[in-house]
Amino acid sequence: MRHNWWRWLLGVVIVLGIFLPSTVWMHQRISKYKTNYKTPLNPTIMVPGSSASQNRFDALIKQLRSETKSAHSVLKVKVAENGQLSYTGSIRQGDNQPFIVIAFENNHDGYENINKQAKWLSIAFKDLVKTYHFNHFSAMGHSNGGLILSVFLEKYFGETKHVAIDKLMTIATPYNMESDSTTQQTAILKELIAGRSNLPKKLTVYSVAGTENYSSDGTVPANSVNQGKYVFQNQVAHYTQVTVTGSNTTHSDLPQNKQIVLLIRQYLLKEKLPAKDRYKRQKANASSSITGETGLP
Amino acid sequence: MGNWKPLRRLWRLNQRMEQWRAMRAIKEALRIAYPFILVMTLVDVVGQSFLASSGFFFQIYHVGSWLPGIDLWQQFFQVISLVINGVVAVIVAFTTGHYLARTYRGDALAVGVMSALAFLTLNVNYDALYETNHVTGEGVPQFMENNLGPQGIFLAIVVGLTVGWFGSHLMSWLAKWQLRHPRFGQLSWTGRVAWPLGIILVITVGIGYGLSWLTDGGINGLVYSALSASVANPGHRGLVILGVTALSNVLWWLGLIGPVSLAGNSSVTSLQNLAYAVQHGSGWNAPNPITLHTLGDAYANYGGAGMTLSLIIAIWLVSKQASYRRVANQTFLPNLVNLNEPTLLGLPLLYNPILLIPFVVAPAINIGLAWCAITWKLVPPIVYPVPRTTPGPLIAFLGTGGDWRALLLSLICLTLSVVIYIPFIRLLNHEGGDDHAA
Repeated sequence: MRHNWWRWLLGVVIVLGIFLPSTVWMHQRISKYKTNYKTPLNPTIMVPGSSASQNRFDALIKQLRSETKSAHSVLKVKVAENGQLSYTGSIRQGDNQPFIVIAFENNHDGYENINKQAKWLSIAFKDLVKTYHFNHFSAMGHSNGGLILSVFLEKYFGETKHVAIDKLMTIATPYNMESDSTTQQTAILKELIAGRSNLPKKLTVYSVAGTENYSSDGTVPANSVNQGKYVFQNQVAHYTQVTVTGSNTTHSDLPQNKQIVLLIRQYLLKEKLPAKDRYKRQKANASSSITGETGLP
Repeated sequence: MGNWKPLRRLWRLNQRMEQWRAMRAIKEALRIAYPFILVMTLVDVVGQSFLASSGFFFQIYHVGSWLPGIDLWQQFFQVISLVINGVVAVIVAFTTGHYLARTYRGDALAVGVMSALAFLTLNVNYDALYETNHVTGEGVPQFMENNLGPQGIFLAIVVGLTVGWFGSHLMSWLAKWQLRHPRFGQLSWTGRVAWPLGIILVITVGIGYGLSWLTDGGINGLVYSALSASVANPGHRGLVILGVTALSNVLWWLGLIGPVSLAGNSSVTSLQNLAYAVQHGSGWNAPNPITLHTLGDAYANYGGAGMTLSLIIAIWLVSKQASYRRVANQTFLPNLVNLNEPTLLGLPLLYNPILLIPFVVAPAINIGLAWCAITWKLVPPIVYPVPRTTPGPLIAFLGTGGDWRALLLSLICLTLSVVIYIPFIRLLNHEGGDDHAA
């Protein structure tokens, strides 16, 4: 009988020796899945510049739709001064790359207003996350829209847990307002530089400038766009500056500019462009599986 | 002996089948192949579950982080496993042919080698011959290596039986013909082997080459692709899943190992379930609660097809056959990590009419039970991927993210299967000893 007693003890030890570590392992795995998981829904949030409405990007969207041959659905959000949201359009069921345009009733220029608009943007953003349950997105801002997005990312984005921003593209965004100076920093630039450590570390930023001549797109000085490096460089994962010249490069034409549309398709929508349209050879992005590892059956 | 009438009838069927020459040849062949397969599987247990990075024990004990020279170990075990695992079916073809020829009092060794060669010719990669003429041909294997491993066992048995019968008869006919026509002179042993071998090889090469026009995977590939196609997509309906699992288990019993294997982790429905669980924190209300993966893999696959883990427990509990108890002891560890080939070949379970019934019924009942439990929302479906070598009763627990009800259901399933196996194991207690008693 003593012999049997030992056997039972050994059995219990073996069962526990398998059971307990596997439970620990399971919890590790589940939390890993949770952090690695990306929703299929991957919207592109577009923010227009000052004095522009939620219809600012209609021309761009029309162009994108016809060129990409996929009917990206469009949801437009207008934020009133009291924070009330009014929606037009909708995200079509099954469309995983919709566009969401967020515009503001008070769309005036100026340091104070941009900060207010960033706050309003955060209200709309939280509501969108709550409604559509996406946990990653890309963003595109034209002109001051880029400033609004940058301020939003620094000040309010951290409040929404479990949502990540993959890419941010700013088009002709005057990081130093109308200033042409390379040394003097305006209030908004100072603020952005002061808060830059709050920017998401994994973010990829593309800053696109247009120039009609060697210094400006007619509204925003190229130097002001260049100041973006002091905000993003050495802070986010990648910061790329692109300057577009040629026809249709005045400030307000830029979102419809053919080259910029290609940039949006290539970098924001992660399309595989045909060779003739490509800016440069894109690295083949190995689509990572949801489990994030191989070897499992 | 069971007094229940159907059981008695089953016993008689078993006795009658054991009289068949083919049956005895198969049993003998598997008995000879068993130690080889056992060694191979024990190597696989270490290789797949402790050393492979997808292995269960590798992951839970984080073997990679403390075992020095992990790559070396992996390669070492991989090589051993490859060598034996790769040619198991050839061994079976040889032993089947060999034993059958012996019962015909033929030249057993020669016929055994003949049937092994015949089996190989059916699994030559005929496309590779074509490739070498055109492109480099490098890296294209000469044989369809998959078919020489465990999944080729059925074909090996068929070929072994056919060649064993045909070869022995051919050789004895040749000898008789010689006696009747002495003017052709005495045929040497070489001649007596060479002529039948030539004839058999011509026939099998013809069959194999002809089949290569039809399918890429050889004759085995044909069977497997036909089965996988009918079996791979059982959809969501419980009855279809039940039917598919039962069919699959019958095929395992015949030696057609593995058209439906535990591979559901990466199917679309499983990924959808995983995505849901990650977003909502649990698998309740997952979009695909009833799939082959959530039912079969989680609750009807302990030890591999046919719930062989509970077969082993049943043997421990009630079997009086020394050989059964020995096989159970030897193959417990492989069964724990769902590698049950040695149990199937060692008992042997293959072609054993008595064990066929619980082998099919136990998983079916478990699937039915799990089906009810999931549709009545008593347990959530498994949603997180688990390694293939996870011990059976833990699959549901780990796959649901640690749901105790799932663990309870697993234990119920295990117990139930043991209970189902017990009367049949009791029946088999009469084997051997019964001949003397009667």
